Amino acid sequence: MRLSIIGSGPGGYVAAIRAAQMGAQVTVIEEEEVGGTCLNRGCIPTKSLVACAEVLAKAKKSEDFGLDLKGAISPNLSRILARKDKIVSGQVKGVRNLFKSWGITLKEGRGTLISPNDLRVTLKDGSEEKIKSDRTIIATGSRPLELPPFPFNGSNIISSDDALRLNTIPKSILIVGAGIIGCEFACILKEFGSEVTLVEMLPRAVATEDVEISELLEREFRKKKIKLIKNVRAERLDIKSDGVHAVISDGKEIIAEKVLVAVGRAFNTNGMGIEEIGVQRGKRGEIVVNKKMQTNRPGVYAIGDVVGGPLLAHVASRQGIIAARNIMGNEEEMDYSSVPSAIFTSPEIASVGLREQDAAARNINIRTGHFQFRALGKAHIIGEIDGFVKIVSDLKTDKVLGMHIIGPHASDLIHEGTLAIRNGITTKDISETIHAHPTLSEVLMEAAEQSHGEAIHAAKP
Amino acid sequence: MNPDDLRYHKEHTWLRVSGRKVTIGITDYAQDALGDIVYIDLPEVDTDVEANNEIGEIESTKATSSIISPVSGRVVEVNEDLSESPEIINEEPYGKGWIAIMEVDDVSDLDDLMDSAEYTKYVEEEAK
Repeated sequence: MRLSIIGSGPGGYVAAIRAAQMGAQVTVIEEEEVGGTCLNRGCIPTKSLVACAEVLAKAKKSEDFGLDLKGAISPNLSRILARKDKIVSGQVKGVRNLFKSWGITLKEGRGTLISPNDLRVTLKDGSEEKIKSDRTIIATGSRPLELPPFPFNGSNIISSDDALRLNTIPKSILIVGAGIIGCEFACILKEFGSEVTLVEMLPRAVATEDVEISELLEREFRKKKIKLIKNVRAERLDIKSDGVHAVISDGKEIIAEKVLVAVGRAFNTNGMGIEEIGVQRGKRGEIVVNKKMQTNRPGVYAIGDVVGGPLLAHVASRQGIIAARNIMGNEEEMDYSSVPSAIFTSPEIASVGLREQDAAARNINIRTGHFQFRALGKAHIIGEIDGFVKIVSDLKTDKVLGMHIIGPHASDLIHEGTLAIRNGITTKDISETIHAHPTLSEVLMEAAEQSHGEAIHAAKP
Repeated sequence: MNPDDLRYHKEHTWLRVSGRKVTIGITDYAQDALGDIVYIDLPEVDTDVEANNEIGEIESTKATSSIISPVSGRVVEVNEDLSESPEIINEEPYGKGWIAIMEVDDVSDLDDLMDSAEYTKYVEEEAK
């Protein structure tokens, strides 16, 4: 089996390794750097900045912990970025080494499909190479979506890619879009000392989440003095000597040193022969696939952001594994019923499954169990008491249908919910599972108990 | 103790009445039950509020609670000092820990509120 994969992000490289493990002869074509958006411009670099912001926030609270830290504590951006770059290059090297160990061929250049079985690679030196394959996976990913009136210029109207290579911490920044990327950068830059304003056209921040999660995040923004203006659009951006003047649809003008436009992602499908060989695309330009990750063209698969599902690295990886297994003769389908998502704001947000506000429309009778982190000893020990967990469960069967967490280490805690949903576990099962003390995971046990009004650490109503 | 010159609402807020303007805050019982207050979400000036609806939220190390408006009216001033130092509410719930000043729509609403003795009794009943 000769398999070619265009793109080496968390979809493409995972598919490559799994297919190689199963005996395929794999070639990966990468135009930029191995690891794709996730490793180079997404998950890994942004979270390394979040880690710096978290240490800074903790250091500022050192007095509360009984520590005398002398002198001013301030972020040194060039060292923060150097640390990030070192982490990224280490991870990239790791993937390259895995390719070597599994005998995967890496072609560094731009891949173009000539037919479902033929690829042309334009290498970095300009030369061309043809590759014949039995199967092809398109894993070309996505890029920051540009709004036609506000093209990125890399200096004062910037994308999330540019925000990872700022020379200085801006005195002030306007972030267009209070979604996942916008809110994460708002928290990072505020901690580093920028004055941050977010504008969002929807009525709430992180609108993909449970309503109560958005409400709590918005309150945390008020605490941090991150300004959030909702139900508005940025209508005009004028670059002047004192900064970018943004005209907002409510008539107000906001002046900021920089504007970060974080309104979504665009699919990378142009100029790669995708259209020419007849691969079907959807309304948003995404590649249409079935649950086996097959496109309409026999032998051509697609995975990751480019198929337009949840734009998450771990979804891409899972799709990559499904595609690889199917290519190697299995019959497997992608299951989206328990996909966790994590947002690295401060506090963190993580969720999986059904949101409370969607239950009624889907005719599901539910019950919810809430618990606040501030009722846990461990939250006080680490000095992070803000947040809560909400478990949504089926009224009749008691099975966990959704879990929504905002609070410390939410992104690590969510997997108990992910496992519960995937395996039909009930809130009673969670309550009756011993959770170690003192840990943040107790919040899940208490919320499960509270689904039946039985949390030990909640006062009688 | 609960000052005699104030009026009290069942959701544990107090009012100091001065014509149509009332200053409101939370009672000593409420601050004691909440424990150390770490944050207050103050209402915005010019907000219209209905009696028995939320005008803000208080977070303590133990709980997050709504501040319930005892009257219907418009918020004319808020105690900005609380955004930096919410612990003032624990220290002086009836003094520097006031939360907002409201202009009431209908002064006769104030007649339904408790006086100091009634509130003291109400709290004792609730504690039972």
